[in-house]
Amino acid sequence: MTIILEIFLYLASGSFYWWWTQNFAFFGLAPNFIFAAALSAAILAGPVKAVAWGFFLGLYADMLGISMFGGYALTYSLMAYAVYVVKRHFDMDSLFSQLVAALSLSWLCMLFYQGLSLSFFKINPIGIKIFLAEPFLNALAVPVVFQVFYQLKRRFEIL
Amino acid sequence: MSREKDAANYAIAFFAVLSVLLLLFPSSKIAHTVRIAASYTLYPSLHYGARYGYFVRNVPANFLALFETDQENRSLKNKIRELEVKLLNSSAVVSENDRLAREMRLSRALPWAGSWARVVNKTPADWYGSFFIDKGSDDGIGVNDTVLGMQDERAGLAGRVFEVYPRFSKVLLITNSAASAVCAIAPTGLEALVEGKGTWLLKVNYVPEESALTEGAEIATAPGGLLFPAGVPVGKVGKVYPRESFMNFITADVTPVVNINTLKEVFVVRRNLPQEVTAAAQDNEQAAANRR
Repeated sequence: MTIILEIFLYLASGSFYWWWTQNFAFFGLAPNFIFAAALSAAILAGPVKAVAWGFFLGLYADMLGISMFGGYALTYSLMAYAVYVVKRHFDMDSLFSQLVAALSLSWLCMLFYQGLSLSFFKINPIGIKIFLAEPFLNALAVPVVFQVFYQLKRRFEIL
Repeated sequence: MSREKDAANYAIAFFAVLSVLLLLFPSSKIAHTVRIAASYTLYPSLHYGARYGYFVRNVPANFLALFETDQENRSLKNKIRELEVKLLNSSAVVSENDRLAREMRLSRALPWAGSWARVVNKTPADWYGSFFIDKGSDDGIGVNDTVLGMQDERAGLAGRVFEVYPRFSKVLLITNSAASAVCAIAPTGLEALVEGKGTWLLKVNYVPEESALTEGAEIATAPGGLLFPAGVPVGKVGKVYPRESFMNFITADVTPVVNINTLKEVFVVRRNLPQEVTAAAQDNEQAAANRR
């Protein structure tokens, strides 16, 4: 039952991000809900599950794009592992730490993805506008998504 | 804790290798197949998400459209019902118009002055006896005015006005068992008394036994009768009965020219007979009825 709910949450997260970008993108900018979901899952879940969530959510993000299949999967997997390491030293459940983590990890993920893209395909997939604005939008989205995931974890014991 | 750390390390190593493999072989057959399989798994959710979003966005508009369609449907149904009633009425009016036009054409050819009246009431208990028409003394109708019916492009005797009220009148039909008319039988012009029988048939009486009364002979009102103008077709001779041993005249059935059952309008011929004449005629009729 739990695995079904997790699959449903996984598909819902990806679909919600896609739906949001289709309808509420503002000047081509939208919070990256897949990133927010991966970060929230990384904070809430155990290490293996967190990395798995990161990988599969990254795969979903790769599916939505057209280039570099596997780039986001690697990025979010590594991000989940990093969160696992960091949360042993910091309280990641607080709002402030989530905001800081969202901002910093957004930029780090973008830079890493950019580096991967340049290394493998010699293309620059992320524009400066997204690079500058999206981390702030992610910082706003992460606490919300975290609360949703937290409530789901409490009620249905998923993650 | 160490086990958890080991598990985390194994997990990240596994997924990182998997990701790098996907990155290294993006267009290889295996990666391509995996991607297609994953697309088939994930894109339906996107597809339904899109559909869901579309429906959510359009719920108020859809509801409004549904509501308006329902209202429109109801009003159109009512309109169709009204139009069906109107169509029925109009078809009745068209047929009535045709009939009246035909009758008007006929009445212009009649040598008598009069006016048209509509049959407004028939009494089931006295079906072949009388009916009411919608013209009365206000319209110049008088007692004993002759009432003609139109059938098959010709006029025929239907009866006479029996009672007159301001707005309507009662017509005594020729088929009434108390009604009679002095008639002439074609071609000889032999006069005889045609009487009602209370059925759809009439009876011609007092025909001398030596006369050649044949089936199909036409009968019209005779100049000798006071109540009806001469020459009004009454009917055709039907079955001729042989003379009874104790009587010295013969009788026959007469089929009326006018079928009383189909009359919708009648033409009332103004007679303006002196009261003495009509009284005498009525006395004669009464006497004849008594003899029967």
